[in-house]
Amino acid sequence: MRETPAAEALPSSPIAKARLYLVFLLFAVGFGYVIVGLALRQLIQTGDLKAQYDTQSRRVVLRPPSRGLIYDRNGYVLVENRIRWSIKADLLALQPEIHRKYLALIKAERVRGAPVEFDKLQDKARLEVLQGWLDRVWYVIDEVQPNKRTGARPRPVRPDDEPERRVNAADLRKHLRERRALPFVLVTDLAFPGSGRALRPEEGQRTIARFIDQFPVNGPISLQSDIVRSYPHGSLAAHVLGYIKDTDELPEKVNELADLPMDNLQKLQYTGKKGASGIEQTFDAVLKGMSGWELWTKTSSGYNKELVASNPAQQGSAVNLSLDRDIQCAAERALAQIKDSKGELLPGAAVMLDVNTGEILALASQPTFDPNRLADRVTQVYFDEVDGKGGWMNRAIQGLYAPGSTFKVITAIAGLRHGIVDWDDILECGPSFRVGARDFPEHDPAGYGQVNLEKMLAVSCNVWNYMVGVRLGQPRLAAEARRFGLDTPLLTHVSDLVNGSPYELPYPAARTLVVPDAAYKQRNGFGPWTDGDTANSSIGQGYILTTPLHMACVAASLARGETRTTPSIIHDPGRDGRHVGAEPIGITEAQLTALRSGLERCVTEGTARTVRIPELPYAAKTGTSEYFKNGEKAHLAWIIGYAPADNPAVAFCVLVEGQLDTSTWGGKTAGPVARDMLTTWARKAEAPAGAQPPSDCQRK
Amino acid sequence: MDKHRQGATASYVVLALCAVVWVVLPAAVHRFAQEAFAEFQAPALHLAGKARDLARFWELKSRDKEEILAASRDLARANAALELQLRRYEDIRKENVRLREMLRYNPPPEYLTVVARVAVRDSSTWWQRIVIRKGSDDGVRAGCPVIFSDRVIGKVAVAHHTTSEVDLITSPNFRCTGFLESDEQNRIVLITGAPGRGLASGRSRVTAIPQDYVYPVGNAPKVTTTGLGGVYPAGLILGHLEGGQRTTQDGNFRESSLTPTRDLFSLQEVTVLVPKYPTPGEILLEDQAQKRLDELR
Repeated sequence: MRETPAAEALPSSPIAKARLYLVFLLFAVGFGYVIVGLALRQLIQTGDLKAQYDTQSRRVVLRPPSRGLIYDRNGYVLVENRIRWSIKADLLALQPEIHRKYLALIKAERVRGAPVEFDKLQDKARLEVLQGWLDRVWYVIDEVQPNKRTGARPRPVRPDDEPERRVNAADLRKHLRERRALPFVLVTDLAFPGSGRALRPEEGQRTIARFIDQFPVNGPISLQSDIVRSYPHGSLAAHVLGYIKDTDELPEKVNELADLPMDNLQKLQYTGKKGASGIEQTFDAVLKGMSGWELWTKTSSGYNKELVASNPAQQGSAVNLSLDRDIQCAAERALAQIKDSKGELLPGAAVMLDVNTGEILALASQPTFDPNRLADRVTQVYFDEVDGKGGWMNRAIQGLYAPGSTFKVITAIAGLRHGIVDWDDILECGPSFRVGARDFPEHDPAGYGQVNLEKMLAVSCNVWNYMVGVRLGQPRLAAEARRFGLDTPLLTHVSDLVNGSPYELPYPAARTLVVPDAAYKQRNGFGPWTDGDTANSSIGQGYILTTPLHMACVAASLARGETRTTPSIIHDPGRDGRHVGAEPIGITEAQLTALRSGLERCVTEGTARTVRIPELPYAAKTGTSEYFKNGEKAHLAWIIGYAPADNPAVAFCVLVEGQLDTSTWGGKTAGPVARDMLTTWARKAEAPAGAQPPSDCQRK
Repeated sequence: MDKHRQGATASYVVLALCAVVWVVLPAAVHRFAQEAFAEFQAPALHLAGKARDLARFWELKSRDKEEILAASRDLARANAALELQLRRYEDIRKENVRLREMLRYNPPPEYLTVVARVAVRDSSTWWQRIVIRKGSDDGVRAGCPVIFSDRVIGKVAVAHHTTSEVDLITSPNFRCTGFLESDEQNRIVLITGAPGRGLASGRSRVTAIPQDYVYPVGNAPKVTTTGLGGVYPAGLILGHLEGGQRTTQDGNFRESSLTPTRDLFSLQEVTVLVPKYPTPGEILLEDQAQKRLDELR
């Protein structure tokens, strides 16, 4: 029988056959190993290997969202986002040019016979190439175009050039170390190319347009747009709005942003922003929005290579404040006109509330700052400038002051409620009142003679209050102050959305509000309580400390005939006007009428007569208290009140930190601010429903 | 038969060798060859354009006399109307100059106009580039804007001696700034050419549209040049926004397509606006060209 061709090909020797079968076996084992190995990787280890692949070859780049806008109660934008155009260099696209430069530098070093330091030359090549491109960018965007007639070429950087014209070697090294995959920023903001000069809007637009229209399109230099925070009215309501700062923190729940195994991936993030003060801080969770993401493959040297998938960022929600832009503007403008004899701005605060809802219409504090100058970065120079003026403190809610004669309203109510005095009782008020061994003076050396409640409020008689206060005793006086909430932090917020903070605005001074009593004095080592302390307290002097916002709330409560007002900086058209802890004042109708009549007389014939508004009758109580400024005695000027007198709609409080040499007085110094706020309010209130009268508060 | 086969094989080998040699040659030689080819084909392009003009001329000449008479009557009327308008514009121009002098306002760039016939559309890039029959000998420079009437057509990419290549507004190499119709704040938007989709007509892309921009009711909003960049005069029409808008990748803006106002396929004649003094952008382009020449040397 003839053998098959395969069998013919086999050797005839048994040893040779065995050797051949051994080789077959080895091959079979080898192939089997490969096949099993492949099956193992393809079928069983797929998940692990894919995760490994993701980790090694892909990365997620997170894009911070633009923040939500902030509006006033009428829908005017108080905080918006401005488009920022920046110029960036794609380092991956520049690699060939950098490499050529690097080789040229090595050649030059060798020609010179100098030892070649490869790392340094690599850095130098990178820096020089980027600098060359930056020179070209400046050549196009520079306002002064030297080439216009002479045809001059881009000039290289000079040592005396602004820092923005030079590529910073340290920044570049940091970028390569931490964010190699992202483009390198050559010019941060085309509208503000030099840090020292802020361009007018049209100049900024021209710079942007020059680059876009003229710079060659194809190349490693690209134009990118993002968003920066903009405060169109400059420093208006700066303490309320706050400002923002850079953050490199990854967003919360970053792994839940997309339906991807994000936790295995390397994450990079463009620098984002977070609130650093004011509403920007307390409502950061609402305003900040949701980050977008891009999934990139990366090269072995760490640059981004190809975009695989992406999801856009989502802008944060808007916040509607209760502020009225025009009233706020009027308050700030009036405060900015109060200066001492040297022309220096006097610090102060002004608040206006809606009597019924407690919504804050104006909350101003001077000195102030421009949040636009903090939107990108806070320079030490600007920080020190604002700090030197005391501009960081929001005096309306953080400043603690003795309320002075504005407190006499509380003393009077306590006296009426406890039957110490009635509305028509007449007290004989001389030039002073003796308590123990000390004479407590009247502010008018002649005294006021026969004084009833109305007259006391109109002329701000001290002696009337000494008498009533001492007869009341401090416990009852302090209890009355507490009834009106002078020891209770305000601006608490009912929503838990706000970063877990219980306050609508940062409120660090809340714990130091003081309604003094014997225990307080003892606790702080000031000795036992005396009748002299009570006399002092009855006119709002001594240890008592409160804020302008608290006194505005007292005025609003008086206007409604209640004890408490819950203020809010958030506008809610459906607010029901209920106030936490509010109860009726607890005096008779006649007493309340006399009290209100006294406050009206204060404006028509009393201490606030210089700031009377003929077409708007209103009620007010002025105050001038003493405090120590740099070791010297100085005056605090106060005025609180409500308007219109017969049907109160708004309440207000103004405080000015004065000095003795300027003769600072409540009616004379703080009064004009209140008058300007009320005039603006009245002008708006008279406008037809839904219409807004022309505003003189313009964008800057 | 074998000889034929050998000949064919040899041709393939030579072709392959040429291809390899072309690939291996330095970039400078490539560029030199491209420049030389552009100059070489310029007369042919001129000839082709003129032949087309001649064909058009004979086509018009064959028209009926009455038809031509009617057309010239219409033209005379239009001319009279335009004469009137011209006088009005002259008054406005004088007033404008006077006001500028009063305000010491920096005058906008001055332009010389060069009217050029379209020679050919570059077949390698379809609608994205055209060749016109005017070049650097006529004063045309790379970077100069090209318009038709009050509409932007594109920008000169390369100026040869007697011809110039123009990147159309739909070319990915085109970029400029624009203002959106009825945007009271006059915020800048960015217009770029979009990569083509097959043989469909060209499109440009408008990005950086503010999120709060509200489209005017009715017609698609116009996008016009800003006149701020020193290249394009203000108020020239770039096109109309299309309705569909998407949110951009960063979530900060919207983007949309732009339909050019002119059918770029039917262009016969365009005007090149040559700025009196070269802009920095032009000088950068010149420098790049000079660099290429240096490399050649």
